Amino acid sequence: MLNNVFLKTLRDQGRSLLFWGIGLVAMAVIMAFVYPTIKNMPSVTQYLEELPASVKEMFGAGIIDYTSPVGYFSTELFSFMMPLLLLIFGIGFGVSAIAGEEEKGTLDFLLSNPVPRWLVVVEKFGVMIVSMALLAFVFWASLAICVSALGIEISLLKLAEATIGALMLALVFATFSLFLGCLKGDRGLSLGISGGLAVLTYLLNTLGSIVNWLKDYRFLSPFYHYMQPDTLKNGIDAGHMLVFLGLIVVFFVISIPVFERRDIAV
Amino acid sequence: MNANDAIVHTSKLTKFYGKRLGIEEVDLDVKRGEVFGYLGPNGAGKTTTIRTLLDFIHPTGGSATVFGLDTRRNSIEIHRHIGYLQGELKLYGNLTGKDLLRYLGNLRGGIDWNYVKKLASRLDCELSRKISTLSHGNKQKLGLVQAFMHKPEFLVLDEPTQGLDPLMQQEFYRLITEARNEGQTVFLSSHILPEVEKVCDRIGIIRQGRLITVETIEVLKSHAVRQLEIHFAGAIPKDRFIGISGVRDVVVENDMLRCNVIGSLDTLVKVAAGFEVVNILSHEPSLEEIFMTYYNEDKNNVK
Repeated sequence: MLNNVFLKTLRDQGRSLLFWGIGLVAMAVIMAFVYPTIKNMPSVTQYLEELPASVKEMFGAGIIDYTSPVGYFSTELFSFMMPLLLLIFGIGFGVSAIAGEEEKGTLDFLLSNPVPRWLVVVEKFGVMIVSMALLAFVFWASLAICVSALGIEISLLKLAEATIGALMLALVFATFSLFLGCLKGDRGLSLGISGGLAVLTYLLNTLGSIVNWLKDYRFLSPFYHYMQPDTLKNGIDAGHMLVFLGLIVVFFVISIPVFERRDIAV
Repeated sequence: MNANDAIVHTSKLTKFYGKRLGIEEVDLDVKRGEVFGYLGPNGAGKTTTIRTLLDFIHPTGGSATVFGLDTRRNSIEIHRHIGYLQGELKLYGNLTGKDLLRYLGNLRGGIDWNYVKKLASRLDCELSRKISTLSHGNKQKLGLVQAFMHKPEFLVLDEPTQGLDPLMQQEFYRLITEARNEGQTVFLSSHILPEVEKVCDRIGIIRQGRLITVETIEVLKSHAVRQLEIHFAGAIPKDRFIGISGVRDVVVENDMLRCNVIGSLDTLVKVAAGFEVVNILSHEPSLEEIFMTYYNEDKNNVK
């Protein structure tokens, strides 16, 4: 596991991946097991039906229908909790990848070897994709097992597609935080900006669904491209997916020259 | 690359961090096969020079080559043949010493592991414990092993003896001497003067970002102010000893003369020979004093 920067970084993620994995699995299991109970509680569905439309909108594409599995999992898992967890992991990793190592002072040490800077960025980006995809897969697998065991009627493929959507959304912000770390080796700054941007764009999308003058700007929010297609119901939408892919590629590609050009802090 | 060329050549190498000066117009040559001492107090620009040579930071003026290769364009090729020890050494705390060396070995390739083992045991290196649990001195030893382990053509060591106990320092000096015998070139920065005196062939003195002088140890010493104390059989006239070239600060107390001498002692000794000399005490100048001399000269020039 110490053959190159990629494997060494992945190895360093080991424990963190384990605990994040446990957390995601626990969330999937609990949500799945609670569903049959909630479905049969008329008071809950009635309460939800009586919510104002704008509030419903904030919880995801306008449908809050706990009587259907799609509605339940969309609202409870995919509209907020699941992408949030992936997002936190991703931003945390993106920030630590370059800026974190720089603040610890080991970047000098690493770069004194015949390893080009661009390769360090590529390998760390690779670990980011692999570990986030792994977490997403573990989440999907445990959810798939649970819904099958409980006989909940929902397409496993659609669950996978929704999970991929959340993964891509999280990767956008994770890659952005990696880029900020490449731009300036300041962990706090990268964390603050990426986290702040995530909150702002989330608000832009949800408020944009109720506030008229914000409506035209919703497309600027990655959360809009995540929520809009209602993936759990309709499957992956290629157009919105391309927006994610474009953003990820752009942030990754500009990371390299800015990192090559700047001074490494002591 | 032929055998005579300079390992390091910088011309007007300048680095400003924004408005703050790192180094300014440093012209430095390190010859193949020598041990070069880079001497200066903390904050003088030693680490800035080194980190520029390794392309961790980019010069704001001038240029530098290592092995005749431009540091900006060929840093990877340069790194391949360099062994580097960081000034404030930071290692991966979650790895053991052994893991760290294996990782670095994999990044470089072509490591002679028997040699690494020998090196680690010579420096009495703790390899099986997690680095985060090691003392500063033990980390430093690990840092030295990784700098030497691939038998690099050029060793760049920033304050290498920090935290080493005296026994290990001696072992380190032996390593440096062996490296020179093997034809390796060493660039060693330090603010510890006896250290460079012990192992270096030539010394560059840097202060406030400027390279003040580059000299061999011998020349530096000959520039040095030597303190001399001569005891005579009887009282001596002070005026005979005043005005001798190179002799200053003459103090006569009855039968004892104390003074500072720069350069040759010849005239002073000849004058003293006119009287009955009981004893001559010479205080061999340490580099510390040489250092201060250069500093003071520099200061006086500025004023």
